[in-house]
Amino acid sequence: MSEPGNAPLQAQEGEGAPVLSCVGLAKRFGQRSAVDGVGFEVSPGEIYGLLGPNGAGKTTTIKMICGLLDADAGSVRICGRPLAELSVRSLVGYVPQDIALYPDLSARENLAFLGRLYGLRGRLLDERIAEALELTELSDRGKDRVDAYSGGMRRRLNIAAGLLHHPVLLVLDEPTVGVDPQSRHAILERVRSFGASGMAVVYTTHYMEEADRVCDRVGIIDHGRLIAEGTKRELVEALGEKDRIDLVATGDLRALAAASRAVPGVERAAEADGRVHVVAGDGRSVLPALVEAVESSGVTLNSVEVAEADLESVFLHLTGTALRE
Amino acid sequence: MKSALAVAGTSLLRVSKDRRALLFLIVLPVVVILIIGATVRGFSTIRVGVVDLGSGAAGRSLVSAMEGSSNLEVQRYPTLAAATTAVSRGEAATAVVLPRGMDAALRAGRSADVAVLANQSNTTQQAAAAAVGSVVAKEGARVQAAYFASSRALGTYEADLRAAASLQRSTPQSRVLSRVVDASSQTLPEGFSYSAPTMLVLFVFVNALASGAVIIETRRLGLYERMAAAPIRRAAIVLGETLAYFLVALTQATLIVGIGALAFGVSWGNPPAAAALVILWALVGAGAGVLSGTLFRTPEQAGAIGPPVGIVLAMLGGCMWPLSIVSSFMRELGHATPQAWAVDAWTDLMSRGGTLGSIAPKLGILAAFAAGLLLLSTLRLGKVVARR
Ligand SMILES: Nc1ncnc2c1ncn2[C@@H]1O[C@H](COP(=O)(O)OP(=O)(O)O)[C@@H](O)[C@H]1O
Ligand SMILES: [Mg+2]
Repeated sequence: MSEPGNAPLQAQEGEGAPVLSCVGLAKRFGQRSAVDGVGFEVSPGEIYGLLGPNGAGKTTTIKMICGLLDADAGSVRICGRPLAELSVRSLVGYVPQDIALYPDLSARENLAFLGRLYGLRGRLLDERIAEALELTELSDRGKDRVDAYSGGMRRRLNIAAGLLHHPVLLVLDEPTVGVDPQSRHAILERVRSFGASGMAVVYTTHYMEEADRVCDRVGIIDHGRLIAEGTKRELVEALGEKDRIDLVATGDLRALAAASRAVPGVERAAEADGRVHVVAGDGRSVLPALVEAVESSGVTLNSVEVAEADLESVFLHLTGTALRE
Repeated sequence: MKSALAVAGTSLLRVSKDRRALLFLIVLPVVVILIIGATVRGFSTIRVGVVDLGSGAAGRSLVSAMEGSSNLEVQRYPTLAAATTAVSRGEAATAVVLPRGMDAALRAGRSADVAVLANQSNTTQQAAAAAVGSVVAKEGARVQAAYFASSRALGTYEADLRAAASLQRSTPQSRVLSRVVDASSQTLPEGFSYSAPTMLVLFVFVNALASGAVIIETRRLGLYERMAAAPIRRAAIVLGETLAYFLVALTQATLIVGIGALAFGVSWGNPPAAAALVILWALVGAGAGVLSGTLFRTPEQAGAIGPPVGIVLAMLGGCMWPLSIVSSFMRELGHATPQAWAVDAWTDLMSRGGTLGSIAPKLGILAAFAAGLLLLSTLRLGKVVARR
C-alpha cells in the first residue's frame, strides 16, 4: 500500500525540471473564493516563499499541493507526476501550520507513527527518527512527551516529522508562528540548509523578514491571487526609484495613514505594528507635508525612518495595505 | 494494511498511556461487578430445604456440597411434608429430596433420583431449583435430579414425586436435567454470575461510547489530515481506527470474562459460544464507539453524553434487572437494543447450558446490529477523513 521511505527523483524529466509545478489552482469555500488562479514552479534546491497576510490563501494553496484539499480548478504535479498517484505523496514532506502531533505521546512515538505511514520500518525507521531529531536539535528530548515541550520545540518536532522520509519537496506552512526569536533563528537557518542540500522547499509566511532572509524566490499572495513573483531584488526593482518612509507614532494611526495618503506625492500609506508605512516617488519632497499631516491628525510622532525599499514596500505598493494590520 | 495497523497501534498506545481510560477499561468494571455481585448474592442467598429419607453417605456428600456452595443455605427438614410446607410458605426457596437407599443404589451401579421441588409459576423458585440442580449435576453423573413442579394442593406432592421419579427413569439422565432447566430459567444465575455478564455488556458499550472522544480529539489535533498527507489510502485510516476500538472492546470483555472466571468463580458457559458472543459484542462496541466519535463535536460532549446514553440502553436491555420482570411492552422495547439480545444470549449460555447452535439466532441479531453500526461508523469516519 505504501512506498518505501526513500523517495527517488527518477520521475524527473531532464536537468532543472521543476520539482513542483502548479497551474491555475482555485478553491472556493461556499461563496468565498479562497484561492483564485495560483500557479508557480519550484526547482530542486530552491526555496520558494509564499508571502501574504492572514487569510490570503496560503494554507489553502499548500493543502491543494499536498493533496489534502481537492482543487476546484488547476493542477499540481510533483516531479512531473500527478497528485492522483498515491505514491507521489512520499515525495512530499508536509509541515502543517497547526502542529499535528499527539501531545500524550513522546517525540519518538510520534515520529515512529508518521514514519510508518511513509513506509519506514525497523532499523531504517530508527535511523531516520534519530536523524530528524538531530536535525531539529531534539535528540536529548526524544523520550519526553510532547505536552511537556515548549512551543518552539513542538514547532521543531512538527518539522522533524516532515523530514523523516527524505522528501524531495518540503512544504512548510508558517513554521515559525508562536516561536521565540532564538528558535525562529534556528528554524530559518535549518530551512536554508535544506535548500542548500538540494531539497526543494515551499515556505509560507506573513513575516516579510522571513521571506527576505530564507527564500530564493517569493510569490506575493493576497486575496487568493498571486500578485507578484520574483527574487527579492526583482520585486524591489519593480518599485522603481520609490522611497519608503516609516512614521513611528502613538495615537490614531489609522487617521495618520489616511492623512498621509492625502499628501501630494504619497502613493501608498498603511499602518502596521505601531508605525505607518509610506511609499512615495520622492521621499525628500513629501517629508515636510507628511510632518504637517502628523500634527493635524493629533498623534505623537516618535521618529521618522527613511527605510530601504523591501518586500513590505512591495506589498504596500501593490495592495495599498500593510502585510500585518 | 500495514498503515492501518500503524494507525491502530498508535491509538492503542495512546489508550495504554491514559490512566483514566485504563480506569474505565478495567478497574471500574471489576469494582462494579464486585459490588453488584456481592449485593445480589447477599440479598438472595437461596435457602434450600433438605429432606433425607435415608440416603446414606452419598446423600451426605451431596448436602455438604450444597453447604459448600457459596449461594446456597441448607436447612434440614425431618419429613417431606415439613419441607413442602416450608417451600409453599416461601421459607425455603426450594427443597431437595434425597431418596432412601441412594447410597446403596449408586454403589450397585444404578442411578438414584433426587427430586428438587419448585413451583413452576414462581421464577424465584425456578432459579433456586436451577442453582441446586447445578450442584447436584456437579456431584456426579450417576445422581439424577428430577425436577418437578406443582401448583396443586400440598397433599399431592408425594404422588407427584413418585410420578416424576418414574418419568425420570424412562429418560436419559442428562436430558431430563437440561430440559426441565430449559423451560424454567428466565434469568441469569444470581451473584457474580449475574453481575459479570450484565456489566460486561454494559461497560464494553459505555466505554466505547465514551472513548469516541479520542476520535474527536484526533480530528481536532489535525492528525487525520496529517495522516492523509502520507501515501496511504483513507480507508486505511478508517480501518485502523475501527480496529483499535474493536481491540479495546475485546480486551475489556476478555478481561471481565477472565477476572470473572478466576476471581469470582463465574461460569461463562459453552466456550465457543461465549467466545463468539464476546467477539460480536466487541464489534457492536467498536461500531458504536467510532460512530460516537463522529456524532459529537467536542471530546467533552462525547464524555458527558456517551455514558448516560449507554447506561439508559443498558437499563432498557436488561443489564440492571432481568427483562423477565418488566412489562411485556418494556420487554419488547428493550429488545430494540443490542444489549437485550446479548443479555439473553448470556442467559442461554449460563443458565440453560446453551451452545453455539442454540444461541445462533441471537448471535445473528447481534451480528446485524454490529454490521449496521459498523457500516454507519465507517461512512461517517470516512467523511471526517475525506478530502474537501
Ligand atoms: N475550511 C474552510 N472553510 C471555509 N473557509 C475557509 C476554509 N479554509 C480557509 N477558508 C477561508 O479561505 C481564505 C484563505 O484561508 P487560508 O488559506 O487559511 O489563508 P492563509 O493561510 O493565507 O492565512 C480565508 O478567507 C479563510 O477564511
Ligand atoms: Mg495559513
